[in-house]
Amino acid sequence: MPFDVVCIAVIGKMNNPLYIKNCSSTYQDLKCHYIAHTSIDLVEERISTTKHTDQYLGLLYAMEELAVFGYITNTRVKFIIVTSLQDVAIKDQEMKNLFRKIHNSYVSLVSNPFYNPDSHKPIVSANFERAMAEVTAT
Amino acid sequence: MLKQPRQTGEEIWKTRIDKISAELFTLTYGSVVAQLLKDHENYLEVNKQLDKMGYNIGVKLIEDFLAKSGTNKCGDFRETADTIAKVGFKIFLNIIPTVANFSADSKEFSLILEDNPLSEFVELPEGAVGELWYSNILCGVLRGALEMVQMQVEVFFVSDVLRGDDATELRVKLVKYLEEEVPAGED
Repeated sequence: MPFDVVCIAVIGKMNNPLYIKNCSSTYQDLKCHYIAHTSIDLVEERISTTKHTDQYLGLLYAMEELAVFGYITNTRVKFIIVTSLQDVAIKDQEMKNLFRKIHNSYVSLVSNPFYNPDSHKPIVSANFERAMAEVTAT
Repeated sequence: MLKQPRQTGEEIWKTRIDKISAELFTLTYGSVVAQLLKDHENYLEVNKQLDKMGYNIGVKLIEDFLAKSGTNKCGDFRETADTIAKVGFKIFLNIIPTVANFSADSKEFSLILEDNPLSEFVELPEGAVGELWYSNILCGVLRGALEMVQMQVEVFFVSDVLRGDDATELRVKLVKYLEEEVPAGED
């Protein structure tokens, strides 16, 4: 993979954090939480103005060598991927692939009869963790 | 004409069975188990309930099975085991478990399920891991079905992938063959 994923965040439909994973050693966890939080505003802005029908929201914003990409599902669950900025522009197709993988793992998680998606509690699932580790490893 | 049970199962599956979405089936069973848990809040009780439900299903399912497969009476318990695995499971779940660990007196055997359509996507919650047998309904189904063909059996799970074991294994024990009994009212 030509770029590094710094963190992945899954945010529920009430804008509650469900899952935040810090994949880098250089940034603190708190920073990941902060970035995920600020991305929520941008996601809301994007969906209210344009791109109603597209799930992939593209580059939301860039700051201090980090680029933030967003993706929203039809059930208003948001996925955020933060990567470190490289000289080479990151292709949309690659980001879409990553988001699709995350979406598939999320679907498997929700299909678990013991998972309650309305509970607003953070995600606790060994399979989901494993899938996220795979996403960042490739 | 005696066909191989594997072939019979395959044929019946392809021609005479209506199919539904696997996800619908898995999600329905999942919600049954989740609801039972909410109602009883006791994993052992849920195991019992699943077994009871399975028993009721098995008692009726055997008729469907015999009608669709047209198998003759099995000669011995080994044939029964084979028929269950290659025809029964194949027709209703489209899987063929492996028959293994036959006891010396041929009265017990194990069924090892490689993938279990009932438990796709399932992760057991913390407290359940030592106590809940998620697919316990299968035990009831086998018990009910075999009772209708004059065999009293005990069926129970030995291991389950959901609990972290290597394989999902069901043990079937023949208790006795049931003789035709005269109903209590007649003499």
